[in-house]
Amino acid sequence: MPHTTPWHSRALGATLLAVVLTVGTACGDDGPGPSASGSIKVGLLASLSGTYQSVGTEIRDGFQLYLDTHDGKLGGRRVDLVVADEGNGAQTAVPAATKLLKQDRVAALTGIVGGGSVAGVTPLLEETKVPLVGSNGRPELKDVSRVWHTSYLSDEPGEAIAQHVRDTVQGSVYAIGPDYQGGWDELRGFTDTFVKIGGKLANSDGKTTFTPFPATTNFTPYFARIKASGAAAVYTFYAGSAAVDFVKQYAQSEIKDVPLYAAGFLTEGGVLNAQGDAARDIFSVLNYSPDLDNAENRAFVAAWKAKHDGSPTTYALASYDAAAVLDRAIGAAGSDPTPEAINTAIGQLGQIASPRGTWQFSTTTHSPVQKWYLRQVRQDGRALSNTVVGDLATVGR
Amino acid sequence: MMAVVAAGTNRIDPYVIPALDGVAYGLLVFVAASGLVFCFGVANILNLAHGTLYAIGGYTAAALLDGGWASLALALAVGVLAAGAAGVLLAGLLTPVATGNHLTQALLTFGVALAGGSLLVAGFGPDDPQVRVPAALEGSVVVAGHRYAAYRLVFIVVAAAIAAALYLVVRRTRAGMLVRAAVDDAEMVACLGVSPARIRAGVLAAAGALAGAAGVLGAPIIGPGTDTADTVLLLSLVVVVLGGLGSMAGTLLAALAIGEIQTLGVALLPSAAPFLLFAAMAAVLAVRARGLASRWGAT
Repeated sequence: MPHTTPWHSRALGATLLAVVLTVGTACGDDGPGPSASGSIKVGLLASLSGTYQSVGTEIRDGFQLYLDTHDGKLGGRRVDLVVADEGNGAQTAVPAATKLLKQDRVAALTGIVGGGSVAGVTPLLEETKVPLVGSNGRPELKDVSRVWHTSYLSDEPGEAIAQHVRDTVQGSVYAIGPDYQGGWDELRGFTDTFVKIGGKLANSDGKTTFTPFPATTNFTPYFARIKASGAAAVYTFYAGSAAVDFVKQYAQSEIKDVPLYAAGFLTEGGVLNAQGDAARDIFSVLNYSPDLDNAENRAFVAAWKAKHDGSPTTYALASYDAAAVLDRAIGAAGSDPTPEAINTAIGQLGQIASPRGTWQFSTTTHSPVQKWYLRQVRQDGRALSNTVVGDLATVGR
Repeated sequence: MMAVVAAGTNRIDPYVIPALDGVAYGLLVFVAASGLVFCFGVANILNLAHGTLYAIGGYTAAALLDGGWASLALALAVGVLAAGAAGVLLAGLLTPVATGNHLTQALLTFGVALAGGSLLVAGFGPDDPQVRVPAALEGSVVVAGHRYAAYRLVFIVVAAAIAAALYLVVRRTRAGMLVRAAVDDAEMVACLGVSPARIRAGVLAAAGALAGAAGVLGAPIIGPGTDTADTVLLLSLVVVVLGGLGSMAGTLLAALAIGEIQTLGVALLPSAAPFLLFAAMAAVLAVRARGLASRWGAT
């Protein structure tokens, strides 16, 4: 047929187009998991705006660093990382997670800064059967069958340092923290263990003092009470701007010579720069410090410093480890790493080598059984740094 | 040994420092809030971007202070000018809005506050920046046997001087007379040939300058950060409710009361700390509701 009518050619074109579109849609919609080309989609949800922006950025950068140092592959498959903004909490996190899980159809989800966001996203995981390898917030959860965390439970730092404080401090200890779920958990972890092993709280009624959060910006009246209580040391947990206010005011207060022990977040990351000299000598407990002496950590810190100013934080580390967990789990999930297969594989990982030292998932809480370290804020070259001064308990259940 | 000393002192002793700190905090709230009271009382403008003007001063302090006195003077000048200019900008934006149309003003200035807050975060980053006070004031001094931050002690003196200067300006200068005249009868002032638009721009510039000064000097107390604007706006609004719009003395008393409630009150009744401020506000409203209502009704 030498010449077709325009009508025919247009019909042919339309048909072709329709076929292409159908095939195209089918390709883009072949269910969660790897596509034919051997790549895999991973969703990262973190606060890239709002109050927790700096933590969210560390989490994104930690995951990206693992990919950059492993040829962009997890479990031998090229990773298509889809990043979404968690915002300030569940209200923004749930729509973002819904998009990742239902539209992008990622094979696994990671990140998530806020505990409230995790609680909000959890029902979606059950619905879509996708595992979450969270790297920060970990609320109280009833069902953890698809939820894994590379971070910690909020009461573990206090639990890990209690024995050390009991052994070191001659006298009673004043417990003070912010009045919200995270603060209650962090302080309860310390006070429960501390009292159980025979420690005495200096608080007048034997109960932790909780300061209104985030309304409290002036801690002077609380310091006056601590002074009056005759405490030999203080245990606390604050994060973000409250941590800066607390530490700066503490250093100028009448209890400035009373030793201060804290969950590591008090002096972790950006807040330490803002606190400056006021943070010097503070003791804190955390699952990581950039000066840990092991091969994994040296490689991690070197790679981090090549790309970023300053040292990596525990937030970046947890996200780096989340990538490491997915790397091994996807590799172990066989030729067809479906979300279900990946979830099963995570449960069988066993020991995980990490810059923080070796750890493993607890079979009951799906969060790490890991060693905690005692750190002190000391001069490190030109900057202040959290320097490891000893090992504390290994905690996890 | 320190514990023995503390246990051996009398019952008032633990509250000396909170009471002193309440004065420092109260004076800061006064300088920060007086601009808002001016705007509301004189120009009848409800400026919800007032906290952002304070934040401008705070970020200026964080950016410029380097531990020396010269940098403090520079930061103060830049902060006052920048926040004052922002006030004039606000006056310009508010020109089309009828005076006394509080809902429109609130919406407009709230929008400006949101945009301004985002600009500050974009410019200075999401972390709370460090503020370096002059090295000589960095330590603490002993007051009546207690340690107290040197900077805050000096701040009390400086803020008291600002309050006194403000009083003199309002009482003794032509600008102050115009301001007082505008409070009494804005229409008559307009009839006398003083443009209301100029008064409005002048009042907003002065309010901005005061907020900027408070932001720079108060940065070590209420530091710059993402929540600063909201905190300062809230405290300033509480001052308006507690102190009314009529007099500087009322504003000063309200601010000092807030300072003491936030420090001495918290030290005395820590378990009630979250409610003290708003309980006081509710009590004042319950007692004075008619007075406030009649004033607003008259305008």
